[in-house]
Amino acid sequence: MATNGKADTSSEEETETIISTAIETGESRDRGPTESPRTVVTARDLDVYYGQERALDGVDIEIPENRVTAIIGPSGCGKSTFLRCINRMNDGIDACRVDGELRFHGTDVYDQGIDPVALRRKIGMVFQKPNPFPKSIYDNVAYGLRVQGRAGEVDLDAAVERALRSAALWDEVKDQLDSSGLDLSGGQQQRLCIARAIAPDPEVILMDEPASALDPIATAKVEDLIDDLAEEYTVVIVTHNMQQAARISDRTAVFLTGGELVEFDDTAKVFENPDHDRVEDYITGKFG
Amino acid sequence: MSIERSEPTFGRVSRLKGTVFEYLSLGASVTGIVALGVLLIYVAIDAFDLVNASPEWLLTYYVTLVLPLIGFCLYSANDRSLIRRTAFALGGGLVAMALTFSVVESFVRPIPRLTWQVAYLFVVVAPVTAYVVFVGSREPIGRTGFGLVGRVLGGTALGLSLIILFTVFDERLWFLAYTLGVLPAVGVLAYSRVNPSSPVSLLPVPVALVGFVAASVLRGPVDVYPTAWLIYVWTLVVPVSAIIAGLTAQRDGETKQTAAIAGVAAFALIGGGSLAAGSLGVSSEHALLVLLGSGVPTVMFGRRVVASDTGRVGLFLPVLLVGGALAGALIAESFGFPAPDPWLDASFVTSSPSRMPERAGLYPAIVGSVLVIAFVALLSFVLGVGSAVFLEEYTVESGVVGATTRLIQINIANLAAVPSVVYGLLGLGLFANLLGLGFGSVVTAALTLSLLILPITVISAQEAIRSVPDHLRQGSYAMGATRWQTTKNVVLPEALPGIFTGTILALGRAIGETAPLIMIGAAHTVFSPPNGIWSKISAMPMQIFVWSDFPQAEFRYGVLAAGVVTLLIVLLGMNATAIILRNKYESGV
Ligand SMILES: Nc1ncnc2c1ncn2[C@@H]1O[C@H](COP(=O)(O)OP(=O)(O)OP(=O)(O)O)[C@@H](O)[C@H]1O
Ligand SMILES: [Mg+2]
Repeated sequence: MATNGKADTSSEEETETIISTAIETGESRDRGPTESPRTVVTARDLDVYYGQERALDGVDIEIPENRVTAIIGPSGCGKSTFLRCINRMNDGIDACRVDGELRFHGTDVYDQGIDPVALRRKIGMVFQKPNPFPKSIYDNVAYGLRVQGRAGEVDLDAAVERALRSAALWDEVKDQLDSSGLDLSGGQQQRLCIARAIAPDPEVILMDEPASALDPIATAKVEDLIDDLAEEYTVVIVTHNMQQAARISDRTAVFLTGGELVEFDDTAKVFENPDHDRVEDYITGKFG
Repeated sequence: MSIERSEPTFGRVSRLKGTVFEYLSLGASVTGIVALGVLLIYVAIDAFDLVNASPEWLLTYYVTLVLPLIGFCLYSANDRSLIRRTAFALGGGLVAMALTFSVVESFVRPIPRLTWQVAYLFVVVAPVTAYVVFVGSREPIGRTGFGLVGRVLGGTALGLSLIILFTVFDERLWFLAYTLGVLPAVGVLAYSRVNPSSPVSLLPVPVALVGFVAASVLRGPVDVYPTAWLIYVWTLVVPVSAIIAGLTAQRDGETKQTAAIAGVAAFALIGGGSLAAGSLGVSSEHALLVLLGSGVPTVMFGRRVVASDTGRVGLFLPVLLVGGALAGALIAESFGFPAPDPWLDASFVTSSPSRMPERAGLYPAIVGSVLVIAFVALLSFVLGVGSAVFLEEYTVESGVVGATTRLIQINIANLAAVPSVVYGLLGLGLFANLLGLGFGSVVTAALTLSLLILPITVISAQEAIRSVPDHLRQGSYAMGATRWQTTKNVVLPEALPGIFTGTILALGRAIGETAPLIMIGAAHTVFSPPNGIWSKISAMPMQIFVWSDFPQAEFRYGVLAAGVVTLLIVLLGMNATAIILRNKYESGV
């Protein structure tokens, strides 16, 4: 690995400059008053096992309201696992076992009396691969309100339009609401999935690498969108893209191999001056 | 030359085994298909009495009917090379077939019961026509033409099956059930659509059930009923007209006025048409049902074609076909060409079995088979999808429940291999004897055959459900949908085409089964169609089997062949319906 050291260093420096410029421009961080916001999701000593194998190891985290929290870390370190814990999507995996405490507005999510279906109605999710239903665009966006039995209470047309506008998709699809969601491009499909997630107006939106299958232009659109979403929603986003995390998030959590949450702080702090050498190594690309 | 020097130097990899395998499997499947094809040709020749068709007669219809049809398709396809290839195949085939026959007949031995003209018809003309129709029907003109013909034929078949349905079932009971059950339920449903949050939205099914029970209770005591014609108008024509009006307003985006006119026009067309037919001596009830089945889709399709401006010429296809057939008949008649006297004709499918081959018919067996298959389709679809959904979506993998489902799973696979006589025995013991549903009755036969094909439907439905990508389920759960909502809204719609395919295959097996029917005591021969679900039936394969044993040669050749062809046509019609349904479903959003 010691060969070609020069090129390595230069690319590292480049990365760092991009990150710091992104942070210095700092558009994303002037959200709301500077006093510390309320906490929405709290994890205390959270362990997750798949069978015998440990995927998360003693995670402690407090996710702030109406902020974007980025989760970064090498592949296999448990980012998706953590995200799925929050809305109990892990319940579908037979081998998965959760220990410790995970609170949503102070209520233990893994308490006996909690209905995961009701929980998921408060916490929306966007997946890595766009997964619109093979239904019309309109039906995709209306899906959440319909299954939640709220289609009669709200003006469905207006709700669909609002969600599509928030997802910056309205202008592109307003004339073809009846055509299939699968006929859209990958980037449009992902924004459709975001519209679908926000239509029932959840409190938290979880995003698992939402831009990883998209080209740079579509990625930029999705990033702008996330920035806007944070005014109304609490966003937790997993990403492999450091610049992206630096650009769009207020807080950053760094998971490292073994499922440990090593560092959790303001994004600027994590990228400019992390407490741990391992995190610095990871961010500058010495370790992946 | 410098090019020669750049010859590759890395040698070649042997593909011998692969090539041998490829040709062996190709050869095996071609042999199978050809053997089946020859058999079907002989059966068709017997059924339509083509041995006695004179070459002049064949030529007449070839020129007046087949060639115009091919011409229409070529015109629609509008492809010069296709025209050249078709002409080459038809002409070259003619010469080749004539040559082959004369060579074989003069040097080897005479070919029994087959002239070269008939062989040309089956081996060359039929496939070429099928191919050209296939190509032509994908272009706008052909799509219009065959769409129209298909709707006329399919609609007529629908109308005829409605007629059969009402000869089997009591239309007065249907009248009560419709008025007391269906209508109120639809009303409740419409009300709850408008006010979705009111508790009324739970009521449609109970209301319908109460109505049905009331209908069956009142059927006896009440003894003043409208005529059958009025019943059909009230229970079928009125709702269909209303639906047409609704569709016109909603889907075609027309004004309320146009929609109302469309509805009234449909009503007037069917009602008036049937009365007019009645005054011409046809039963006005039957005319109403046929008009309802064929007229409505035909007119709606025609309206759509006229409104769009592609492929309107295609609307002349029916004229071309009917005109060709009439011209052919006229020519054959005036020149006195000897025409074949087919065994499979209108009287064969409308009359009862008989000792005399000329008068023998399949009507009761056709009704019996179709009725049983309709029930089997319904039962096995509901049961099959239900079990498959349970096994795929609802069970857990661990614990006692998990072990039990694994056991069930293995046994379903085994049950698919159990011979059909064993199911017959089960049907005899369980449904006929123990539950007393009657020996050889429609219910017993339907239940037995449903059980017989249930493993196949379950396994194929499971396969279809399993192939629904998991990320769709995840997406639905993440939206806060329950498991049932996910299954109903996401999994089943995606899996339905696959489930349909599996069910079609299974039904094909059920309709041809004879052994279980013999076991449960179905009649070999019945002389009238069933008049209810408890009456004793025969089925097409049973009747055909019986004919194969008759001493007269006419039975063993002509009548038997006609029966086989009828069975195959019913089977193909059923499959075609299911495939059209499936494709419609797949293409619709
Ligand atoms: N369904 C599962 N069954 C068993 N083990 C699993 C399952 N899902 C994840 N794991 C294990 O848990 C660990 C964490 O996986 P997770 O998917 O959370 O990683 P990740 O950080 O999201 O990785 P990536 O960045 O590649 O998406 C991995 O070691 C993985 O093997
Ligand atoms: Mg992941």
